[in-house]
Amino acid sequence: MSDRTTPTWADEPEVHDPYGYAQQYGDGGHGPAPQDRRQEQRESLRQYAQQAPTRPQAQQAHAPAGHQAGDYQPGWFTETGSWRFDVQGRTSEYTDQQAYDTFAPFDPYASYTAVEPGPAAPAAAEPEPRKPGYTLPAVPESSWAVDTRRSKLLGRGVLLFILLVQAGLSLRLTGTAFQDEALYVAAGHYELANLLHGTKLPVDFAAYFSGHPKLYPVLAGAVDSYFGLTGVRVVSLLFMLGATALLYALTRRLFNLRAALGAAALFSVLQSTIVLGNFATYDAAAIFLLALSAWAVVRTDRMKAFAVLLAAPPAALAFGVKYASGLYLPTLVVLAVITAHRHRGIRALGRGVVLGTGIAALLGIGYYFSGPLGGISSTTTDRAKGTDTAATMLQHSAEWGGLVFLAALGGTIAYVLRGRMGEMPWIEGETPGRVRRAALGLVLTGTALLAPAYQIHLHTEISLYKHVGFGLFFAAPLAGLGMARLVGPHFRHPQLGILLYVATLVFGMVQAQRAYSFPDSTQMTAYLSTVVDRKGTYLAEEQEVPAYYLRDKTNWTQWQNTYFMDYRGKDGKQYTGPDAFRQAVRDGKFDAIVMHGDVSPVTYQAVKEGLKNNSHYRLAAVFPYTTSSGEHAYRIWVKR
Amino acid sequence: MSFSVRQVRAPRPLRALAAVLLAGALLAGCSTFSDEGRAQYERGQGENPDATGTAEATESAKPEPPYDVRPLLDPKKKYLGVAADGAPARMTAVQDFAKRAGKKPNLIEFYSAWGDQYEQQLVQNSWDYGAVAFIAWEPFKTSLKDIASGRQDAYIREYAQSVADLNLPVAISFGHEMNGFWYPWGTKKATAAQFTAAYKHIHDIFDDEGATQVIWVWSPNVTHPMPNVKLKPFWPGDDYVDWVGVIGYYGATGPNTYKTLYGPTMTEIRGFTKKPFIIAETAAQAGERKPADIESLFQGTADRDDVIGFVWFNFDKETDWRINSGPLSEKTFKKQAANPDFGFDVTKP
Repeated sequence: MSDRTTPTWADEPEVHDPYGYAQQYGDGGHGPAPQDRRQEQRESLRQYAQQAPTRPQAQQAHAPAGHQAGDYQPGWFTETGSWRFDVQGRTSEYTDQQAYDTFAPFDPYASYTAVEPGPAAPAAAEPEPRKPGYTLPAVPESSWAVDTRRSKLLGRGVLLFILLVQAGLSLRLTGTAFQDEALYVAAGHYELANLLHGTKLPVDFAAYFSGHPKLYPVLAGAVDSYFGLTGVRVVSLLFMLGATALLYALTRRLFNLRAALGAAALFSVLQSTIVLGNFATYDAAAIFLLALSAWAVVRTDRMKAFAVLLAAPPAALAFGVKYASGLYLPTLVVLAVITAHRHRGIRALGRGVVLGTGIAALLGIGYYFSGPLGGISSTTTDRAKGTDTAATMLQHSAEWGGLVFLAALGGTIAYVLRGRMGEMPWIEGETPGRVRRAALGLVLTGTALLAPAYQIHLHTEISLYKHVGFGLFFAAPLAGLGMARLVGPHFRHPQLGILLYVATLVFGMVQAQRAYSFPDSTQMTAYLSTVVDRKGTYLAEEQEVPAYYLRDKTNWTQWQNTYFMDYRGKDGKQYTGPDAFRQAVRDGKFDAIVMHGDVSPVTYQAVKEGLKNNSHYRLAAVFPYTTSSGEHAYRIWVKR
Repeated sequence: MSFSVRQVRAPRPLRALAAVLLAGALLAGCSTFSDEGRAQYERGQGENPDATGTAEATESAKPEPPYDVRPLLDPKKKYLGVAADGAPARMTAVQDFAKRAGKKPNLIEFYSAWGDQYEQQLVQNSWDYGAVAFIAWEPFKTSLKDIASGRQDAYIREYAQSVADLNLPVAISFGHEMNGFWYPWGTKKATAAQFTAAYKHIHDIFDDEGATQVIWVWSPNVTHPMPNVKLKPFWPGDDYVDWVGVIGYYGATGPNTYKTLYGPTMTEIRGFTKKPFIIAETAAQAGERKPADIESLFQGTADRDDVIGFVWFNFDKETDWRINSGPLSEKTFKKQAANPDFGFDVTKP
C-alpha cells in the first residue's frame, strides 16, 4: 500500500467515486444534503459575482426593490442560482447568443465559505470606491467554446493549413491535357476569336457542350494564351481553394468553428476536390459558383428577405457554366428557406421564393440572349443512356464519398438529437428547432445523393467521379459537424477525428491518382507536328488533344473524331458508324490515323480491319503509355 | 473532491468501436486498396507494378521520335547497294568497293542467322558510313511453322525491341528465295501458307513493339529455275511489304539480259502488287560477258522507274562475283556507277 501513489481513500469502495456522482446527486450520503448543496452553490456564485471588479452593474446580489422576480435585469441572480450578464454591448457580436442565458461557471474546486451576513448598512459606511488603476475586460466564461477573435484567428490559421494540403494534393498530379480539357481550352480559343474578331466558329460548340461555350471556355482560352495549360489548371485550383474557404465560412455561420474546420478538412481531401483542383474543365468553376451562392444564402440569413437575391447571380452563372449544376439549385432554394426559418417563421418561405424567382429570371434572361443550346439536352438532361449498372455506380460513389457521407449522416443525427454539443453542462435543456435542424441536415446530406441517383437513372457513369464532389460540397458542413461531434466535447476523442480525416485523405489521394491518369500525349503530338499540315484530314482517337496542341498548325475541322462519322465511299455507297471508319480507311481518306483503342474500341477494330491489305498506310510510330487501367500505346499510321 | 461534469452520453469504447468498425468495413468493402487498386495506383504514378525497380519508368520516356523511313521507301534516285566480305563489321571491303566503283554505296547488305541478336553495331556502322543496312534474316535453325505458331515470339520480340531502341532505318528481308527449293524454308520443306503466316507474324510483332524503322523486303528468287512455282501464294500482302527484292544473278548459263533475267518475274509480281522493286542480290559471273552484264544491270535498273536500285554481291564465293574480277569489269562498273541516278544521301533522300 505504501509504495502506491493512489490515495488511500481510493481503496475504500464506498469512497471511490471519481465522477462525484455521490455529491452531485446526493445519494452517497457523504456530501451535504441536496438542499445544502444547492445553497452552497448559490453562495459560491454570489461570491464570484461580488468579487468581479469590472462589473459595476453587477454588484447587486439581489434584485433591486421594485422589480418583480423574473423581470429582466442586467447582472443578477436568477431563481435557479445562475448568473446573468448584462447583454447590452457586452456579449459577443454573435447575436444568436442573445437567445440564451449565459451562466457563471460552477467551480467544483471552490470550497464552501460561509457568507457573513452583511451589516445592516455597510454601503453607507463605506466611502466612494476608488477607481482601480486598471480594468480587465469582461471575460465571457464560455470564451473557449465560442467564436472569439482569437478562435477566429486560430481557425483561419488551420484553414490556411488545410488549403495548403489541398493545393499540394492537387498539384502533385501531372499529365498532358485530358480530352475534355483540350476540348474546352481549344474551344475557348475559337470562341475568343469569335468574340474579339468575329471569326467564324469551326463548329457549333453550343450544340454539344455541357456548359455554355461562351463562359468557362473563353476564360480558359484567355488564360491559356498567356500561361498555358498549367495556368488554366491553376485557375481551377484557385476555384477549388475558394470553394473550400467558402465552405469553411458558411459552415462556421451555420454551426460553429469546429464543424467549419472539419467540413473544410474533409472536403479538401476528397478525390473529386483533388482532381478538379488540377483539371481545366468547368467543374471547378461551377463548384466555386455554387459555393459562392450557398455562402451568400447563409450569409444573408438574418438580413431582409431580398438580400438573398445576392445568391442568385452566382447560382444562375453556375448553371450557365455547367448545366449539371442545375441539379443543385433546388438545394440552394430550400437552404434559403431553412436558414431563414429561425427568424421569420412561416415567412421564411418567402425567402426561397425570392431566390428561386431571382435565379429563374436570370436564367431566362441568359437563355434569351444566348440562343438555342442543344448541349443542354444532349449532354445533361437527355444524355444517351449507358449500360453501367446501378450496383457498380453505387459502389464507386461509396468509395469516392462514402466516408464523408457517413460522417454527414452521423452529423445530421447528432444535430437533430441535440443542437449543441454540451460542453458547458450548466447550459441544460432542449434547444429549440428540432424540425428545422432535421430539415437542414436532411437537405444538405441528401444533396450528396443527387448526382449518383441521377446518373443511375441515366445508366451512365461518365464524369460521376467529378459530379459526386458537387453533392459532397453540400453534405460537407454536416460531415464537419459529425466530425466535431465524433471528437466530442472538450476534444475528448481527437483520435477519432484524426482517423476520419486521415482515412478520407488516403482514399482521396489514392483515388485521385487513379482518376487523374490519362494518356501522355507528349510524344504523339510531337510526332504528329511533323506530319500535319493545313490541308490534311486526320482521324484521331480523342482528337481534341492533338487538335488543341497543334492548333497553330491545323484547324479544328481537320480532325475527325472516332465516335461518329458519315462517309460516302469511293464506291458511292453511304456508310455510318464503324462501317464508315472502315471504308474511309480503305479509301485512304485520312492523311494520318492516331488510335489507341482505349476510348473507341469498336472504331479501333474497324480501322484495323480497314488497314488490312491496305497499301495507303504505313505504321509510322508506336508510343506506349501507362495509365491506371494498364499499358496502352498510341499507334500512328501515315500515308505511304 | 469531484468533477461535476455531466455524465458521458455515449460510452467511449462504444463510439470508438463504431468508428473503427466503420472504417474497417469501408476498407474491406471497396476496391481502392485491393491488389488491383494498388496496381492501378502504381500505374497511375507511371510505374510498372510488376517491375521490381523503378529504373524502367524513367527509361521509357524516350524523347526521340521514331525514324520516319517513308522517304527511303521510294526515293527519286536509285540505291547502289553492296554486300561485301566482313562488312559492315569492318568497312575495308566496302571502302575498297567504293574506291573501285567510284561511288560510295548507300545500301549495305549482310546476313543474319535466326537466333542472332539484332546487330545494332553493324547497322550503326552502315549508317555512319552513309548507307542503310539491309539484313537478310535467314531462319535456318527453326521452321516457318514454329515461327507462325508463336514459339519464337520471345526472340522476335527482343529483336524488334532492339530495332526500336536503335531507332535507325533498316531493311529486313525475312526468308529470302522462299520460292526456291534449296533453303530449309524453301518449297521442299515448307508451304507458301506457312511462309506468309510466319512473315506476317513477325511483322505484327514488330508493329506491336513499335519497331516502325523497318523497311520490309519480300525477296523471291527470279522464277526461271523453278517456273512452276507461282509467286502469288507467297505474297503476304501490301500492308506487310515495302520492297519487292528480286534476287537474280547473271550466270554463265541462263538468261543474261535484264529483260529475260528479271522481266518474267517482275511481270508476274505486278499481277498482284505495285510495290517498288529492288534487286536484292545480284552479280555477274566472271567471264567475257561480265562487262556487258554489268551494263545491262545498270541500264535496266535506270530504265525502269519502279526499280529503285540493286545490291551487288561482291564476294569471291563459288565464283568470283566481285566487280574487280577483271579490269574491264571494274572499268565498266565505274563508268556505269557514274550515272547520277545511282547513289544518294540516305539522310536526305
